[in-house]
Amino acid sequence: MGDIAFLLIIFFLLLSDSSKDKKLPLTLPSSTQVKKNETPVAARVAIDSAGVIYLDGHRVDTAKDIEWGVRALLTRTVADEQRHVQFKCDAALPKETFEPVLKAIAEAGGIIEAIGEKLQ
Amino acid sequence: MLKHRRKQEKKHRTGEIPVGSFSDIAFLLIIYFLVATTLIKVKSITADLPTGEKQTQAQIDKTPVVNLRGADIYFSDKKVTIENLNERLAALNLAEQPANKRVIMFESTSNASYQAYFHVLAAISSNGGVVALVEEEK
Repeated sequence: MGDIAFLLIIFFLLLSDSSKDKKLPLTLPSSTQVKKNETPVAARVAIDSAGVIYLDGHRVDTAKDIEWGVRALLTRTVADEQRHVQFKCDAALPKETFEPVLKAIAEAGGIIEAIGEKLQ
Repeated sequence: MLKHRRKQEKKHRTGEIPVGSFSDIAFLLIIYFLVATTLIKVKSITADLPTGEKQTQAQIDKTPVVNLRGADIYFSDKKVTIENLNERLAALNLAEQPANKRVIMFESTSNASYQAYFHVLAAISSNGGVVALVEEEK
């Protein structure tokens, strides 16, 4: 009984770790057309409200770092379903901050999963 | 009474760690994680931005263009609302078209916010379009 309980604890510990970039200070954009995302993602890219770029929770300096990082993560992929890259960005950021990152993901071969909130 | 206390002291001297309460602690932790963990299914739009060579002017002329100037949206140089844009894109029936006919050119000015950009990306993607970003000549 105790063993099962501890296995369950380990499961929940690992599960709660998967949403670690949730705490970033950013306001997500909203749209009526967003859908629940069922596909697993190969990488997570985020830009917070200060314009700081993150790849899988780690801070990077430029969009070029994103391109290299995503390219490295996608080298072993064989199907389109494995090329999805989650993209989170603050709704108020200007084009010159987020567009180079979007282009970098596309250049690296990623399919962008732009995260947003459902507009009621 | 004295006999019972001596018996208890003897029992504690055996060096065994009392593990009886371990499963209780474990289940308390499980309940904590059950309450604290949110199994999130994030909501998103999927945008496959193709990369490739520059298109010729003749090809660009045939492709529908969406312009984002600040917060204003223009479809083929006519100002539209996001609802109008959805209707016009739906009328193109992009999902039924071959891959090369599904391309929608997307041009934006530097003062466009990600919120407005996201609206347009969502409209194009949800209508089956493939977004081609237009870059300014340097």
